[in-house]
Amino acid sequence: MILIEREDELMIAYQNGDDDALGGIYNLLKQPLYSFIFRYTRDEQLSIDIVQDSFVKLQRYKHYYDPSKGKLKPYLFQIAYRLMIAKLNRRKKLRTYLPFLTPIGKEEFHHADRMTIREAVAKLPDIQRAVILLFYYHDMTQKDMAEILDIPIGTVKSRLHKAIQRLKEEWERDDDETRSL
Amino acid sequence: MMKQDPFKEEPHLRTKLDEYHVDVPDFPMKLKRKRWEQLINVLASPAKNPLEPFISTTNGFIFLKMAPIAGTAALTLIQVLIFL
Repeated sequence: MILIEREDELMIAYQNGDDDALGGIYNLLKQPLYSFIFRYTRDEQLSIDIVQDSFVKLQRYKHYYDPSKGKLKPYLFQIAYRLMIAKLNRRKKLRTYLPFLTPIGKEEFHHADRMTIREAVAKLPDIQRAVILLFYYHDMTQKDMAEILDIPIGTVKSRLHKAIQRLKEEWERDDDETRSL
Repeated sequence: MMKQDPFKEEPHLRTKLDEYHVDVPDFPMKLKRKRWEQLINVLASPAKNPLEPFISTTNGFIFLKMAPIAGTAALTLIQVLIFL
């Protein structure tokens, strides 16, 4: 049995002409969407831009969403993830050609400090970070993650496994370094 | 569908991941994004100082002080050579 979430109902209402329903969707999904983008990029302004752009896209292409194919949350996360990757790639190019215009990215942490979970997550390779964030903080199924990231389910599983191993190694290394200080 | 929890055996990692809270700022939903607004946001974001590598070393600092003088001298010399 498919469980219909509140945001899915609101989206159907929005597709049927109830413009107020969009505000309800925004209230329900703004927080998880922002958290995902922020944990991935650690950039507040970029995260706000992506959330707003995702909702602009949702409005523009509202009839492209098909409730029979899946829930709204992964659909919106997919839009946001694609926008985020496109923006980050654009920034990478900008950094190459105009380094003085590039916004300061991730803060670096000092090795004398104990590593926090923020830094451990930030140190993960991009492809592993996305999987762990979606799985742990947003309760996404492997099928949802595969759709959002546009990769096969098998790849989702292996990335998740590698990300967990890597996080564990980071903690163990940090514990060893702290003990030796 | 498989929803086996790979964190089941990792209570320490779970505790650590639970510590990662995000404060969501209050911002409105936009009906339409304006390109120039995005450009202004990028331009207004703090950026790295391109002269920072020079400031951090003595030689770099001297180079920064001398570069305008040397540049002016070079320009003067070019003019002198051309017009005299």
